[in-house]
This record gives sequence, C-alpha cells and structure tokens, in this order.
Amino acid sequence: MTEPAAAESGTLPGPAPGSPGSAAAVHRVRRRDPVPLGAGVCVAAVGALVLAAMNGSYLGLTVTTGVGFAIVTVGMVLQLGYSRQLAFSQSVFMGLGAYGMGVLETKYGFGSLESLLAVIGLALVTSLLIGAVVTRAPGLALALATLLMPLFVFQLATYSNWLGSFAGINGVLPLLTGADYTTTLVESGIACAVLLGIATAIVFRVIRSGVGLQLMAMAADERLGESLGISLRQRRLEVFVLGSVFAAVGGAAIASVQGIVTPDVLSETSEITLLLMVFVAGRRSIVGAIVGAVVIEYLATSTSFISTNLGIIEGIVLLVILIVEPDGVAGAIDRLLGRRTDQWAAMLRSRLPGGLLARGGKGGA
Amino acid sequence: MSQFLNLLVAGLTSGAIYGIFGACLAVWFRVCNILNLAVGDFAMFGAIGTAWLVQNAGLPFIAGIVVVVAGVGLAAWLFDWVVLHPAFDRGRGARGIVGVFFYTFGLSLVLEGVARAWFGTDVWGAPVIWSGPALSVLDFHVQRAGILVIALAIVSGLALWAYLRFTVSGRAASACGESRLGSRIVGIDTAKFRRRIFIATAVLAALFGIVESPLSGYTYASGPVISLIGTVAAGFASFRRPGRAVAIGLAIGVAESMLGGYVSTSYNDVLLYAILFGIIIFRPEVLGLGAEPA
Repeated sequence: MTEPAAAESGTLPGPAPGSPGSAAAVHRVRRRDPVPLGAGVCVAAVGALVLAAMNGSYLGLTVTTGVGFAIVTVGMVLQLGYSRQLAFSQSVFMGLGAYGMGVLETKYGFGSLESLLAVIGLALVTSLLIGAVVTRAPGLALALATLLMPLFVFQLATYSNWLGSFAGINGVLPLLTGADYTTTLVESGIACAVLLGIATAIVFRVIRSGVGLQLMAMAADERLGESLGISLRQRRLEVFVLGSVFAAVGGAAIASVQGIVTPDVLSETSEITLLLMVFVAGRRSIVGAIVGAVVIEYLATSTSFISTNLGIIEGIVLLVILIVEPDGVAGAIDRLLGRRTDQWAAMLRSRLPGGLLARGGKGGA
Repeated sequence: MSQFLNLLVAGLTSGAIYGIFGACLAVWFRVCNILNLAVGDFAMFGAIGTAWLVQNAGLPFIAGIVVVVAGVGLAAWLFDWVVLHPAFDRGRGARGIVGVFFYTFGLSLVLEGVARAWFGTDVWGAPVIWSGPALSVLDFHVQRAGILVIALAIVSGLALWAYLRFTVSGRAASACGESRLGSRIVGIDTAKFRRRIFIATAVLAALFGIVESPLSGYTYASGPVISLIGTVAAGFASFRRPGRAVAIGLAIGVAESMLGGYVSTSYNDVLLYAILFGIIIFRPEVLGLGAEPA
C-alpha cells in the first residue's frame, strides 16, 4: 500500500501494454492501489472487530491507546514519509488535542463529541497560524524550530496551574459512554477505530490525488517541483496542517480512553515514541504506521523486561532499519511480496497466455 | 549589581555546557553533514561512568576518568564502524535529512537505555576536580567547578576553531563536508576524518560531563536535553562554526539565567525557547543554512 500515486497517474514511464513487464506492473498497481473509502472502511471495521473481541480487557485498553497513536502516525506518514517534511511538532498537537478535551470537558462542561469537534477546529486554526510561519523555513530550519516546540510547551503545561501542573487534568470523558466500564471501553475503542478509518481514507485520498503527485515530486526534488509550477509553500502548509489536525485528534482519542491528560503527552519522549512508531514500521506505509503504533504501544506496556529496556531495543531496531531497510518493516514486506507476486505473474504469463499462444502458433503453422 | 554578576556567572556556567556541546556538534557536522544528537549522552556516560567507577568499583578518580574516556572512545569507534561506515561509505541505508538526524538519534536511545539498565535512575556526579569553597569577592560568588567549566568551554571552542582554521588537517576536514566527492578525488580520506572527529568530540563531551557533573548532577535521561540545546547553539552558528557555537551557547545560558532572575524562575526556559523559536521562524537566515544535504 505504498506510493500508489506514482502508478496511478498513468503518465509515468512504465512498460508498454502487451510488453512482458506490463502484466506484473498492472498487477502491482492493483495490489498497491486501494480505494480510499474502502481502505478507511476496512481499517475501521478491522479495528472495531478486534477491539470488540477484546471485550474491554487490559489488552483492549492498550490496543485502543495504540489506535489513538495510530491516528497520529497516519498523519505522519503523509508529512514525514511521503512529503519528507521533518517536523517535530506532533507531540505538541497531540497535547493540544488531549488538553483541549480535558479543559473543555472539565472546566466548561462540554460533551465529548462537542469537545472533539472544538479540538479539531482549534487544531486547524492553531496549525494554520503556526504552519504559516513555520513552513517558511527550509528543511533543517523547520526541523530545528519544531524541535524547540515540545521543549517549551512541555514546560508551559508543567508549570501552568490552569492545566493542572504536573498532575494534569483528570476526568476526561470517554468518546462514547456505555452502561458499564467494559461497554464504555469497547464503544470508545470502536469510536477510535472509526476516527482512524476516516484518517486513513483522507490520507489515501490525498496520496491518490494530483496533490499527492505534487508532494511526491517535491519530496524527490524541491527545485523540480517548483519548476513544474507547484506552490511549495502552500503544499508544505497543507501537509503541516493535515498532520497537525490528525495529531490533535489522536491526542483527544488517547485522553478520552485514558481519562486523564498529563504533561507527559507533550514531552520529547512522546515525540520520540511517535517517530519510532513511524520509522520502525515503515514511514511510507499507512498500514505499517498503524500496526507499528499498536505494536510499540503494546510492547511499551507489556512485560517489564521490554518496558525497562525499551530504549535499547528501539534504538537498535531503529539503527538496523535505517541501514538495512529505510522504508521499515512494511517496506521490507512490501518489497518481498512485490518480488514474490512478480515471480507469480511471470510464471502465469509463461504457462498460460504465452504457452497457449506458442501452441496456437505451432498448430497454425 | 551583585545579583546581576551572580546571575551572569551562573548563566555563563550553564551556557558553557550548551556552548561546548554546540561546538562538538558543529565541528562534526562541518565534516560529514550529520548532527550528533548523542553528544549529550556521551557526556552523561562520562559523568555517571566515572562516578560509578569511583563510588561503586573503588577505582581511583584518575583511573576512573581514563577507563571511562577509553570506553566512550571505543563506543564511538564501534558506532562508526558498525553504523556510519556501511551507511555513508558503502552507500547503504537512509540518506538526506533522515540520515542527518536519525543515526545518532538511534545511538542516543541505545546509550540512554544502557545507562538506565546499568546505573539506574539515580542522580550521579563525578568527584570534584578543584575542591574547596566557592570563591567570593564581596557579594559575588562563583563555584570552582563553574570556573573550570567556563575555562574548558572557552579553551575547547578556541582549539576547535584554530584546528579548523589554521591546520592542514582541519582544512581537509572542512573540505569533506563541503564536497565529499571532491575531497576523495584529491585524496582526502573522508571516512577517516568523520571517524576521528566523531571519536574526539565524544571524548571531549565525556570529559566535559566529568568536569561539569559536580555542579548539576546527571541521570540517565540528561543527555537528550543537553544535545537539543547544543543543537540549537550549533544551529545559530550555521552548524559549522565551533567557536561561534561556544559564544552562542554562552549567550543562551546568560539569557536563561537573566530571565530566571529578573522575570520568572518557573517560565525562564519557556521564554527562552519561545524566543529562540521565534528567531528561527522569523529570521531563518540567521542559521545560515543552504540547501538540504543530499
């Protein structure tokens, strides 16, 4: 499910119809090119089924939190993986979403869905304002500027009494409230899965569109993109805003599931965790980002050995990924499957149409 | 006046920390266009490792320093051999802006994890090199360790600046960062310079951690924040000028101290980071960055 736009455009060089490579190419395009709505529905349905099957267990709580993180990482795939926009501001917007839910619900009596909508609006406006100035900066400067954001926002939340200081804000409402704790957790989990499905559909839609092609051109070479008439600043801003809004929605979902929001969500550790989720699983794969978020969240809270030594494990895995397969585990699987399906397609070609044609030719002669 | 002077010295001391790490980052970035985000972790290992060897293993202080510095140097060499060599000399692995940040970021995670597993979560400080009460002139007080820290930062910054500016080896090292291919064509071994300067800056950071740790104390998690502020100091020095990075680090430390003394002790860091953020956003040209590394 990576880089479908390249294949979709039909303008990129590829094997001519009827040529030996065309069947494999078409096969690969079909395999890699999911319909956005279908992909979103599929992700939401699988997530909802898995969480319903877990029936409010501790594992269900962990996976639901992982789904919240996955909403953030799906946005990061577009921002970091697809557009190569290295910004370290996701934890800040995740905190904005989480604290937004907490403040609106506990201080102003908002309901959870009203709060969620308000948080989306707030994230949209904030990311537009910040993005308008941040995205002016070139690659390294953008990374450096956004590197500072978690530092000062974390300290701001830590010392602010209004935001609950070190203890944070307790009593954040679940997205959906059921009859008891188990039902509430399952229903909230399903709501998170639906939000993840929507995020997935939107990102797939962007990647499949002409904008996706423009982003790909920009990521490959900004000068090339500019010479094609792409407005770099506008595209950078759009990607930044979309990634930030998803981060806020993910933060809101996590706060709703956990019922509490603390400054930890804004810390650089949180940003590091998000980056690892995306890099290890595959920064150019939406499915990889979803699975990576859930698996890393599970590992971080599972056995004490893993949670204690998580830093060493994550560091080593990250280094191995960077050297061996920069597109992450998903990239490795994708490449492996692509190779395998290419082999199958070649085998089919040689045995069916090619063989039949050869026999027909022979018979005719 | 005495409050101002005390704040100034406190600021210069903390600024020296940012400055020296900024210089380490800048000199290595100049050679290979990679940010060393593990530089703070090398300092942490220097400080905690020495303290652990002296307090728990009973080694003499000097022997502890030698063992730790040798260990840090070995770790840096090993990282270069296992990770950087295949990634940059054999053309494998992630490049571009991802390579700029994430190789050393991975190393930082590993070092932090190892330190947590080995030394626990306690606060550690190496023994004081220049012991005795704070030096006082009227109401103006300065810790002896603080004087050492500031002196070491200034000497190191000047030495790195002089190395790059006035030696053939330094010019060759700078050439590696300007054009890797061009350097190799004229016979400069870019891998050797990358490795040597990485090891040298790691050892320098470890030594600095040993000297500074009696003042602030280190935990396993001290590294990343130091590296981040060092990165900012190096950024304002165009990532390439170690002497300027020390000066900017000192300025950041003084600004932080003054904001803490005269504005708010709670929000001084918030204000400082916000100011730095604003400068980068509204005047990105102060970073002096050209095109993204390929």
